[in-house]
Amino acid sequence: MTDSSVVTFGNWLQHQSFALSVATSDWAYPFVQATHFTGLSLWVGTTVATDLSLMGMGNQYQSPLQLFNALFVWNWIGFCIAVLGGFLLFSAAAATYVINPAFLTKLGFLIPVALILHIVIQTKMREWGQQPKMPRVAKIAGSVELLFWILVVTAAVSIPYFG
Amino acid sequence: MVSQIGEALQSNSVIITLNSVGWMAAGLEIIHYFGMFVLVGSIAMVDLRVIGIAGQQQSATKLAQRLFPWMWAGLALNFLSGFVMFAGIAASYIPDPTFHMKMWIVLAAVVFGIIVQWKLPAWDKSPTMPISAKLIATVSLLLWVGAILAGNEVPALSGLG
Repeated sequence: MTDSSVVTFGNWLQHQSFALSVATSDWAYPFVQATHFTGLSLWVGTTVATDLSLMGMGNQYQSPLQLFNALFVWNWIGFCIAVLGGFLLFSAAAATYVINPAFLTKLGFLIPVALILHIVIQTKMREWGQQPKMPRVAKIAGSVELLFWILVVTAAVSIPYFG
Repeated sequence: MVSQIGEALQSNSVIITLNSVGWMAAGLEIIHYFGMFVLVGSIAMVDLRVIGIAGQQQSATKLAQRLFPWMWAGLALNFLSGFVMFAGIAASYIPDPTFHMKMWIVLAAVVFGIIVQWKLPAWDKSPTMPISAKLIATVSLLLWVGAILAGNEVPALSGLG
């Protein structure tokens, strides 16, 4: 897609009735924001706990695999809630977002990389968890993932600075 | 008296620097959000476990022992960064009713978090979670979602922040 077709898409999206109702209603916007942040709390909270566990922290109470099993379902429920809220926030001002460099970095680079790493970690977890001690690669993966989600939040916070 | 404290806070040179230098102000927001996600995510998982819809195959106490340190670390990050941002325009926040509401909800949520942490070992000893435990955990969860919502209502209704 060229720049202009992205902007055309953004304009079309933000003029859809659901997007207009989020953007123009006094009460809807904070509710949608709260939905995004509640989802993110579940997603980031459970992801960070797993990453810290991979890095070797807090494992005196339960193994990283036990923690991972307890958090897995709500990790992805949080993700779905965050995406739903995020999409509605995006659609309320889509034409502005699609040309914002911080937003493009967040959605086009940081989130895909962090997500791929997240899924790789989740598929490897069972194998890593069966070893008596977490392998070195698990520690590195956990620390890199933690760093990436901090970068995602950094890019998100930077969006208004470029707007 | 309170408004004088507000004026003193927001004329403090360290507070002014932290809130006015671009990357420092952004850093405060990043810490505030990240701390909040870790705080709410951790307590929410314990609440969901107590309510009976998460991690049922393992002990609630163990999960809580693991997550509560992160909850407190998240709260510390969230509180410290929040305090510096508050201090930057303290005189405007202090009389604002929406900000008061947010602070009361956060305080109630923290109190319920402490109750859950304190009561959990006893609840976990009974073969099924007592109904009072599930009720307290539900209130705790709702209060944190309410705290997030109230946090968004402050800029929406008062234009502050």
